[in-house]
Amino acid sequence: MTGAASPARESSAAQTRPALISIRDLWKQLGEQQVLKGFDLDVATGETLVIVGRSGGGKSVLLKHIIGLMKPDKGDVLVEGESIVALTERQLSRVRKKIAVLFQSAALFDSMTVEENIAFPLREHGLKDAAIIDEKVAGALAMVDLAGEQKKMPEKLSGGMRKRVGLARAIVTEPQCILYDEPTTGLDPIVADSINRLIRRLQKRLGITSIVVTHDMKSAFHVADHVAYLYDGRVYFRGTPDALRASTDPLIHDFIEGRSRELLSDD
Amino acid sequence: MTSFIRLIGQNVLGFCGYLGQLLLLAIDSFRSIFTAPIRWKLFMGQLLEVGYRSQLVVLVTGGFTGAVFAAQTYFQFHRLGMDSAVGAVVSVSMFRELGPVLTGLMLAGRVGAAMSAEIGTMKVTEQIDALRALGVYPVDYLVVPRVLAMMISMPLLVAECVGLGIVAGYVVAVVLLDVQGAYYLDYMLSFTGSRDIKMALTKGFVFALIIVFVSCHQGLNAKEGAVGVGRAPTEAVVIGSLAILIINFFLSMILNAIFPAGI
Repeated sequence: MTGAASPARESSAAQTRPALISIRDLWKQLGEQQVLKGFDLDVATGETLVIVGRSGGGKSVLLKHIIGLMKPDKGDVLVEGESIVALTERQLSRVRKKIAVLFQSAALFDSMTVEENIAFPLREHGLKDAAIIDEKVAGALAMVDLAGEQKKMPEKLSGGMRKRVGLARAIVTEPQCILYDEPTTGLDPIVADSINRLIRRLQKRLGITSIVVTHDMKSAFHVADHVAYLYDGRVYFRGTPDALRASTDPLIHDFIEGRSRELLSDD
Repeated sequence: MTSFIRLIGQNVLGFCGYLGQLLLLAIDSFRSIFTAPIRWKLFMGQLLEVGYRSQLVVLVTGGFTGAVFAAQTYFQFHRLGMDSAVGAVVSVSMFRELGPVLTGLMLAGRVGAAMSAEIGTMKVTEQIDALRALGVYPVDYLVVPRVLAMMISMPLLVAECVGLGIVAGYVVAVVLLDVQGAYYLDYMLSFTGSRDIKMALTKGFVFALIIVFVSCHQGLNAKEGAVGVGRAPTEAVVIGSLAILIINFFLSMILNAIFPAGI
């Protein structure tokens, strides 16, 4: 079931919605490794697309291309039909106001309090009114179930709380799309589940388009409208979570089951 | 033989590439200063860190250098009966060479290391990616406040270093070694002029740019992991210090043509 040959198993609803993000024939080499080899993908407005694949398979690299943090060797990334590949860092600011990112490490600014972290994008986007900023920060924190934690420093927060604050910082500017880079990695199952529920809640309440990169299949099945399986630098499968579960393709089956075919000496 | 030539070629190309990256960072920073809004709060914070908090180390360096330089000069000149010339030698040396170079070296160690470590840590913990993702250009946010703070602080720190060096030299020569104070001052003032002050401040300004761009570049290009973050400040200090010493020679030759030493 290679990328070009794979049937697109998409719901009719997703097919009729316009693509917010389109990736066309994306190629990227890092060092000796060809990470992306002609990657194609459309993400419809309002959908939650989960991109799964093995660690080191290029999922995070792909996310960085979507927001212009990396430039491809070849190919194009379109946001609302506008190519962002040739834009300069300053021109990309306009695009980046539409798309927020929750980084794998949350990437909170460690010299700032929780409140300052969340208010940072508001202030940078030109909002001056302290009362409105406070209100928006409180609203974003309430949305991620961290009301009243404004004054804490990031180093005082647990891994799950850091992710939540990172998420609050991402949603406070009301972006059209949020990119999640391994949102549940390194968290215990209970906290991971709460993050998954949060992603669903944000999609339902705010109608935000979401692209989630993960290798956590439980998380993928929980939050996805559609799943894309990244294999060998291309989309190997794209379809609904049910279609992924029902797949008889050995590669997909092994990935879902977490089964390695490598023979170990003690087996 | 071919591999040796290739190795030299690779190093020369690598060095040219590095200089090119520094130049691009400098151009980008100066463009930002004139086109992007200045973040005054960050600038004031850097001014406090770079300027105010560096004073002790610079004053101690300047003071003891002036003192020991006056003593050593006296020991040599005393045999020739030229005690009163000590003030002129200390003053001109502090202004034209010792003050700017020692201040530069101390700041390359204290401030350069801190800058590259801080920015390097931000790089490997994805905070710089987060800045970019939030629509903030890292040069505007991280480099420009540091450049402005260094450009303002460094000449003032050089002035402090030179000033205390001369005072310490006077105390050692006149109070401890019994040089005639009036002659000491008269010779010093005869041989020291505004040309020496201009040379000191110009060098301070140039060294400030070397330190800040080398350090910020090392931080922004820090490699992943603890080793990468650890290497960034080490390289910033080594490259910054060597660059100051090497450029100081050429700067001295050029500035001596513009501001010639002597009466």
